[in-house]
Amino acid sequence: MSSSGKTGLRCEAIRRSLAQRHGQDPGAGAIAGAALGLWREVADCLAPLIGSRGVDALVRRSLQLTTPAFPWLGLSGERADGLGPLTGIKPLLEARDPMAATEASVALLVAFTDMLATMIGASLTDRLLDPIWTSPPPKLPEETAS
Amino acid sequence: MSQKVCIKQLPSGVPGLDSILGGGLPEFSFNLITGPPGSGKTTLAHQMMFALATRERRALFFTVLGEPPLKMLRYQQQFSFFKPGMVNDTIRFVNLADAVASGRFDQVLASIMKEVEAFSPGLVFVDSFRSILLEATPHAKGALGPQEFIQQLGIQLSSWQATTFLIGEEPSASDTHPIFTVADGLLCLYQSVYRNSMVRKIQVTKLRGQATSPGIHTFRITASGIEIFPAAVVPGDTESGSATAVAPRSDGRLAMGVPGLDAMLGGGLPSGYSLLVAGPSGSGKTILATAFLAEGVRLGQPGVIVAFEQTPSQSWTRTIDDLVRSGKIGLINTRLLDLSIDEIVQHLIDLIHRMKATRVVIDSLSGFELAVAPTFREDFRESLFRMVSVLSGLGVTVLMTSELEDRYGDLRFSPNGAAFLTDAIIVQRYVELDSRLNRVMAVVKVRGSAHSNELRQYEITRDGIIIGAPVVGYEGLLTGRPTRTPASPTAPGRRP
Repeated sequence: MSSSGKTGLRCEAIRRSLAQRHGQDPGAGAIAGAALGLWREVADCLAPLIGSRGVDALVRRSLQLTTPAFPWLGLSGERADGLGPLTGIKPLLEARDPMAATEASVALLVAFTDMLATMIGASLTDRLLDPIWTSPPPKLPEETAS
Repeated sequence: MSQKVCIKQLPSGVPGLDSILGGGLPEFSFNLITGPPGSGKTTLAHQMMFALATRERRALFFTVLGEPPLKMLRYQQQFSFFKPGMVNDTIRFVNLADAVASGRFDQVLASIMKEVEAFSPGLVFVDSFRSILLEATPHAKGALGPQEFIQQLGIQLSSWQATTFLIGEEPSASDTHPIFTVADGLLCLYQSVYRNSMVRKIQVTKLRGQATSPGIHTFRITASGIEIFPAAVVPGDTESGSATAVAPRSDGRLAMGVPGLDAMLGGGLPSGYSLLVAGPSGSGKTILATAFLAEGVRLGQPGVIVAFEQTPSQSWTRTIDDLVRSGKIGLINTRLLDLSIDEIVQHLIDLIHRMKATRVVIDSLSGFELAVAPTFREDFRESLFRMVSVLSGLGVTVLMTSELEDRYGDLRFSPNGAAFLTDAIIVQRYVELDSRLNRVMAVVKVRGSAHSNELRQYEITRDGIIIGAPVVGYEGLLTGRPTRTPASPTAPGRRP
């Protein structure tokens, strides 16, 4: 399969996964929360493998690649709270309309997975990240407790 | 029944490695793989890991501060042994950078053991232990130091029944470093640079409880990974024939495929002999060698040729090509210039077994010597001896050609003393007779056999070598200044 075909499939899988996490007719806040949740899962999956600094470096590059299409993403300053380069984008997504927030979230995750595939190959990337796109959202601790 | 412990040997999955390890990797052993940057340590570790990892014997690969894990995954995937489908199933990569950054050995050890307990691996790799030793330092008095860290790691992983490999550059003051005492096995990788060539070498410096193959062995890294070429071992007199012999020893003789030559050799070339065909450029050595192989094919005796000087335009090369294409003879044709003799011997042995070959041609020793990496040229004669001995142990009959400089004042049969190593010698020369350049051939020796001592003229025709009459009526032919024998006015080329 061509790389653009692969990207298309990944894009659809990421979009489905995001929708699964934010539910129907979400506001921009729910979309931002779902997107951050997905990023957390991605980081949890990859950090043991390539180190948290390795994940942060890829996220920074993804932000740079996505900013031309969504210039407002460039306003996300990295906070000094040690939570990595993504912490600044939540308020930016919340401030947009739901469609723009969805498109930017999907584009950022697609840029990240495409770049990872360029680095370590599509096969290994899919092997590592497909479970995130295809599995139901993990239950939050309070949900598990109830 | 014996109550002694029996250590299981794991097949490493690296061609040639099990042989030099003395059978395989001892299960639950604690091993070091050392070598300078670029020597192939990580590749060796990955190749073993992908070969050994199964659902029942999973592998944990810890990366530290050496090669960035992303790059390691990127580059290791270029090898065919890397199977992405095994990652996060039977193989798990874990980055230890955060634990190492803490600067505490006990924290690094705890992180390793936490992952080991969670994943329950049968194989553990740490790449690189040097980074841990450099980065982590005991902070407080009584904290774990590097020596205790290594000892604890060895004890805990062995107790966990994991076969472990620590990978890294050799620590300084290697002879006294505790890691070398703790380790059960020590694999040292080198890059030997001599003049403009680089040869990769490996040595099993230590392996507890196993008879390893001593000495330094060469290896090559290709798209398939690492292939080691164990140094050819000369069979001893006490060994009752090689277990891998392809041709049973016999008193038979092999037809050479050149009319008249068998008679000169006393009835053909004795089976299992090595024959040196020495002659100047253009004298027909390759043609004779090709005839030897073609005759074997005709008689149902498969052959193998190791060629170093083939050029496609030669008609006789086309004959060899035809025989190779039809699968009747095997060909090793190399233009690499950084070979070790052991590499050629290994490929030759594999091909001999595959083809069930009984005839082997090496064309030529001069080309072979050029193809061998400069670092091995000083030992070329010894290496040739090992090669001839190994081939003899296989029971095959060997024909080697050797380029001979036409120096009439200095009659030698090969520039590297190969004549001494061979059982039989045929020499070809040019001689000037009656203002014509004539080719002559003689059998110099056939060990333990009567043979002709005639100097016979021969021609090279479309049908091959045609041996003519002995040169009589002249003397001093080999000096380049023949004179007519006064007692016999017979013209050359005519029988008396």
